Amino acid sequence: MNVPEAASEGRQALFSAWLSEHVGLVFKVARAFAPADADRRDLIQDILLQLWCSLPRFEGRAKVSTWIYRVAFNTALAWRRKETKHRAPQIPLIEVEELPGAEEDTARRLDQEQIVAHLYSAIHQLPKVDAALVLLYLDDLSYREMAEVLGISENHVGVKLNRARKALAELMKEVTYEP
Amino acid sequence: MNPDELKELWHDQLAGRRLTLDAGIVLRQIEQSKRDFEATMFWRDVREVGAALLAAAFFLWFGIKDGIWPLLVAAALTAGVGVFMVVDRYLQRRRRPPYSDPLLACAEESLAQIDHQIWLLKNVFWWCLLPLGLGCVLFWGQSSWTLLKAGLWRLKDLEFPVGCVLLYWGVYHLNQYAVKKAFEPRRQETEALLQNLKSNAE
Repeated sequence: MNVPEAASEGRQALFSAWLSEHVGLVFKVARAFAPADADRRDLIQDILLQLWCSLPRFEGRAKVSTWIYRVAFNTALAWRRKETKHRAPQIPLIEVEELPGAEEDTARRLDQEQIVAHLYSAIHQLPKVDAALVLLYLDDLSYREMAEVLGISENHVGVKLNRARKALAELMKEVTYEP
Repeated sequence: MNPDELKELWHDQLAGRRLTLDAGIVLRQIEQSKRDFEATMFWRDVREVGAALLAAAFFLWFGIKDGIWPLLVAAALTAGVGVFMVVDRYLQRRRRPPYSDPLLACAEESLAQIDHQIWLLKNVFWWCLLPLGLGCVLFWGQSSWTLLKAGLWRLKDLEFPVGCVLLYWGVYHLNQYAVKKAFEPRRQETEALLQNLKSNAE
């Protein structure tokens, strides 16, 4: 096997491993920025393409998840909704599969799903940078990691996140949830 | 709902479900998208650069064959347009914003690229239409002069310059329309994004 082939196989193996570990992250970013199914499929494909193309630039300085967030957000921010006639037919790249036994407590699950859908809708209404910050916050990233993704100082993250959270709370104030 | 409840829900949103993807299918799809994109870019370049180089070859051939110097100038001008396009595309391709950079850096680079595109389209008259137009004027002037000397010039020979003017007018306005409809909104959006990222940064 020659060097380019080996490098290419290594890249494919790394890509597959990262995807299986961080597929949820890609899915959440796509759902937040592209609510409609067809748009989401389109955005997911763009994010995966950019991840693949950016992979040789990964230097290991940032955590893998932080790096994937950067690529995913940059792609989502540059992404434009395509007209249906310009959209190539796509197969869904990420499948959502129900696990056995998940049917239990269906009423509670439906209730939760509605609130999550409302949450995504609220995030989608925020300015794009605030939406990105809220996603990072909900996924429990530290201020430092958020600063690394956005390229701004940690203090600035604090100020912006505070505002974004208030805006989100305002959008979510009519939603009640009994766990 | 308080923030902790929201976070709990957020983390539980995929509970009872599994997200699966087939890396092989993903890679095949990615390679296909890459190939499609590269083919689109390649044929766009071939079309635009090729047209300029074809016109240059046309002027050069007639210029050398008939020993007419204005046509050689026209060939140099049109070839210059083609070379300008090739160099500009090469430089811009190297400047493409790296998506793995932080959002602020990537947005700044995107804005610089959009500004460059707007500059190119707004100034299409100076770097494209004027040199190509001068080439056409030289070509038409030379042909008309020869016909005039031979007493063969007809009013009908004005069709070529009138056609050129109409075509150039159309191309110019199409470019300005693209700036207004596609690039200015993208510029405003990217500027707003940058402003949002930078507000209170200092």
